[in-house]
Amino acid sequence: MNTSVKRWVPFAAVPVIAVAAAIAIPLSTNAAQDLPEKTPQELLTLVAESDVRAFSGEFTQTSDLGLPDLSGFGGTSASGGESSIATAIMELATTSHDARVYVDAEQGVRLQVLDRLDERDVIATADDGLWVYDSGEKTAAHVTASGDLPDAPEAPDTDVPTPSSVAEDLLASLDESTTVAVGSTATVAGRSAYELLLTPRDDSSLVGSVVVSIDGETGLPLGIAVTADGDSSPALSVAYTSIDFSTPDADLFTFTPPSGVEVTEKTVPVDGHSDSVSPGDADDSTLPGATTSGTGWTTIVELPAGDASVFEGLDAVTTPVDGGRVLSSALVNVLFTDDGRVLAGAVSLGALEAAAR
Amino acid sequence: MSNADAIAATTDGPGVGTPPSRRGRGAGAFLLSELALLFRRRRTWALLGALAAIPVLLAIAVRLSGEGGGPSFVGDIAGNGLFTGFAAITVAVPLFLPLTIGVVAGDSAAGEASLGTLRYLLITPVGRIRLLLVKFAAAAVFCLTAALTVMIVGILIGLALFPIGPVTVLSGTEVPVVEAIGRALLIAVYVAVSLLGLSAIGLFISTLTDVPVGAMAATVVLSITSQILGSLSQLSALHPYLFTTHWFGFGDLLRDPISLTSFGENALLQLVYVVVFGSLAMGRFVTRDILS
Repeated sequence: MNTSVKRWVPFAAVPVIAVAAAIAIPLSTNAAQDLPEKTPQELLTLVAESDVRAFSGEFTQTSDLGLPDLSGFGGTSASGGESSIATAIMELATTSHDARVYVDAEQGVRLQVLDRLDERDVIATADDGLWVYDSGEKTAAHVTASGDLPDAPEAPDTDVPTPSSVAEDLLASLDESTTVAVGSTATVAGRSAYELLLTPRDDSSLVGSVVVSIDGETGLPLGIAVTADGDSSPALSVAYTSIDFSTPDADLFTFTPPSGVEVTEKTVPVDGHSDSVSPGDADDSTLPGATTSGTGWTTIVELPAGDASVFEGLDAVTTPVDGGRVLSSALVNVLFTDDGRVLAGAVSLGALEAAAR
Repeated sequence: MSNADAIAATTDGPGVGTPPSRRGRGAGAFLLSELALLFRRRRTWALLGALAAIPVLLAIAVRLSGEGGGPSFVGDIAGNGLFTGFAAITVAVPLFLPLTIGVVAGDSAAGEASLGTLRYLLITPVGRIRLLLVKFAAAAVFCLTAALTVMIVGILIGLALFPIGPVTVLSGTEVPVVEAIGRALLIAVYVAVSLLGLSAIGLFISTLTDVPVGAMAATVVLSITSQILGSLSQLSALHPYLFTTHWFGFGDLLRDPISLTSFGENALLQLVYVVVFGSLAMGRFVTRDILS
């Protein structure tokens, strides 16, 4: 018996080492790297002066909002195959996504959401407007600007949400309601990065902190993690897993819908001020009459009565409260009032109910 | 017929299709004899035949109904026969391929034990570790053969029944036929690599018991359990460590530009499973009393 145990040792050691390595290696890659110290203001300047014109990268978005995964229900509740806004939001909020992005200031932007055996593509270019392609649904939408553009846009709009653009928008909107600090350094996508720590001053916000990782060399934001108040791990995070600063292949920015794909053409009128088309323009038209109250982190968005139809099929995840139903998650509360209004914000349910009155 | 029979045949006299003796030969000859044994079995051909039937049935069903639509890739078959291979491998990955791997890997040691040939096999100057390595290598060759069978039969039946043309990959761009076939073969390699972890698990379970059916069933059940765990979002923290996590990642080989990230991640994960369960199998096999 004793010799049997001894003979086991070398074979038992290998799995132990392998499991230990599997746990230890991901931890050690987060070890701090040497970067010159910077104040928050210097770091914001670094981002603002970042002159990365072209890059490609792969990123991962994860959500842990404490909502049940409804991907199985989403397809069936949508009427006529047309996904509602609500199911799209729910899909984004409950599952993780891998995506690739290609950016070239001269050419345009391409985002590829890498679904399992499917792919959704968004291609935005200055010449050809915006293409949205879904390989699973076999549909493509082409949004172009109508009328003459007053002057050719300098660079195509980069409103396709990438870790970089989301972080840049966020940093641009910083005001007195936020405490800004520089955290430890981290490794993101194999690069040394600063961590900019944003904390809401207003205690009533559900957001505990937001960490933006900023590439120490180029100033390009590499990732964002949003942690709910009182939580230790991020509820929402998006960060590059790899990034390459060479110019992507020009072919990536041309899109020809493959045969057998249903193409929807959409034209957006251009006024003198707006100089390009973005997905945001298309989305805005579907949510008319939204009003906001409050400022900064405690902003509450209110949709007037009548729009609630797009949120059909959410009964499974909402809980009834006095005067309506509420969808509660780690970062956002959404109140569906009995008279059809929808209020949403990163605030407590009590604040939403107060705003609804 | 088992390995020990094969060895006995070389000493006792003429056997039917006697493989070369292992005595005094290198590991290569040992592996060849094991492979000859595996691929001479009717059961192996029945397994491969069942796998080959998947694309054939798919293609005939699409041809007869003449309808488009359906799950991943099936709807594309009518327009381009090359999609038969992609559709068939998508259908085969969750159940049929693990089933065949479970049979081959689960039988590897337990089968010899149940026939009572394992002790004779180990009397010959063949180390126990070397025997396990050869058994695993044979299972790995079967993984590749099985995946290639599904893909190649799929492409051939697609060629026979449907028009062939440039393939529209998931990103919406077209790739030429030759490149598409190259990617199809790469997908078969990806799927074969995906099954290596399961082969190692099957080999380990096979060293635990003398009942081959038990080892086969346990291996298949584990592969299904792992897939069920992988579909539960509540267990998302566990997902990166499941050996089935990347089983459907072969879709990344159908993007433009092609993404090899998941290929690398999958290979690394399977390597860890092979190392862990391979050494557990060796530990069990070396210390075990071979009674049958």
